[in-house]
Amino acid sequence: MDSATPVEITIPAMDVSSPLVDLGLQNDGAMEVPLNGQNAGWYTGAPTPGALGPAIIAGHVDWDGQPGVFYRLDTLRPGDQIQVRRTDDSTATFAVTSVQQYPKNAFPTNKVYGAIDHAGLRLITCGGEFDSSHSSYRDNIVAYAKLVNPRP
Amino acid sequence: MFAVDQSDPLSVANYRYQTQAIGRRFMMKSRNVLLAIPVAGLALLFGPVAHAQQEAVQIQLLDLNGTGATGTAILTPAAGGALTVSIEASGMTPNAPHAQHIHGSASGHDFMCPTKSADTDGDGFVNTEEGLPAYGDIFVSLTTQGDTTKTSGLAVDRMPTANAEGVLNYERTIEASALPAGTIEHLKDLHVVQHGIDVNDNGAYDMEALGESTFAKSLGVDGIPEEATNPATCGMVSGAAPGSVPAGGVETGSGPTSGVGTQTLLLSGGLVLFGAAGTVLVRRRTRRQ
Repeated sequence: MDSATPVEITIPAMDVSSPLVDLGLQNDGAMEVPLNGQNAGWYTGAPTPGALGPAIIAGHVDWDGQPGVFYRLDTLRPGDQIQVRRTDDSTATFAVTSVQQYPKNAFPTNKVYGAIDHAGLRLITCGGEFDSSHSSYRDNIVAYAKLVNPRP
Repeated sequence: MFAVDQSDPLSVANYRYQTQAIGRRFMMKSRNVLLAIPVAGLALLFGPVAHAQQEAVQIQLLDLNGTGATGTAILTPAAGGALTVSIEASGMTPNAPHAQHIHGSASGHDFMCPTKSADTDGDGFVNTEEGLPAYGDIFVSLTTQGDTTKTSGLAVDRMPTANAEGVLNYERTIEASALPAGTIEHLKDLHVVQHGIDVNDNGAYDMEALGESTFAKSLGVDGIPEEATNPATCGMVSGAAPGSVPAGGVETGSGPTSGVGTQTLLLSGGLVLFGAAGTVLVRRRTRRQ
């Protein structure tokens, strides 16, 4: 598919539908995160969902004690579908290929963000043990998906 | 002017040990991204993140004309509309310079790498003029210094040299002013071609193997061996990646129990920051949730 800004993500298996906010990089080079728990965000420095390469969408697992938009990301199974509606009125449909959990201090940057020869999608949230001394989860959950149907 | 100095130690030294930008990015140490609140305010000073196309494309360089050479080129948009080109190829004619170019078009014409059928004169090699209809005109000459326009297409004295093992490393950032209009927007329509094959394996580009380069001659340059101008590799875009790879993991959780104040640490982005005042607003909003 051509590049087009994504507008909304729908994940039936998680009963999730969310508008997408823009995410850039922080000054320290880390990715920004959405400013609330219920909106997912897409990383504007990556290919757009449906275009060649890995598109990146991040959402909170929880927010102020409440479940966030990607609260159930770790329950996704291979084959589960993800739809991303785009500004050109097309919808890119992806199928989950795997769901992985990584320590943040050993995040596999190349595997998640590296060049790929197809239109892919990575959904990212937090997981694992919550380290209250750092107010941070120790791990990230990453769901990998592949474009299966570029509906115009 | 097209003399092939195989023992040019300077070129070899200069380019042999260049590391690939993408390798450096991927090797960046992961780190935690907790930011202190005052740093968040600084995001305002740097402004919001630009919305331009920032993705990088990866080009798999494949053997052309039976050279057995392969490689990877990465085109990465850089600050101010510049373009960083990284190439690592192996199996190239050792100790010899290799003219290399970005071919293609920013006007939507769908050029591609030629197949064997492009060898219309049947000499067993797809030469430069036979390849041109498929891969398009020279878009950018990937020289090591100076001019990068089409006119430097055969400036072999400024082209990278493969080392004694036939490995060629190249990296250069070409400023926006030196790029044809539309380059960054059409990265996926471009491809890379490298030239230079020592067909008779005698360690030099010479006239004995394939004679004189008719392509060079057509440009008014005499005495260039066809070996020096025949394409050795060609690659089209085979992959894409973020142009700026985020560092480390992603802070996407505030904790299973209510942790007011945590979010202010986590949300140090450039989206809705108003400095210290904004921080207070975020706190209030999260309290109400």
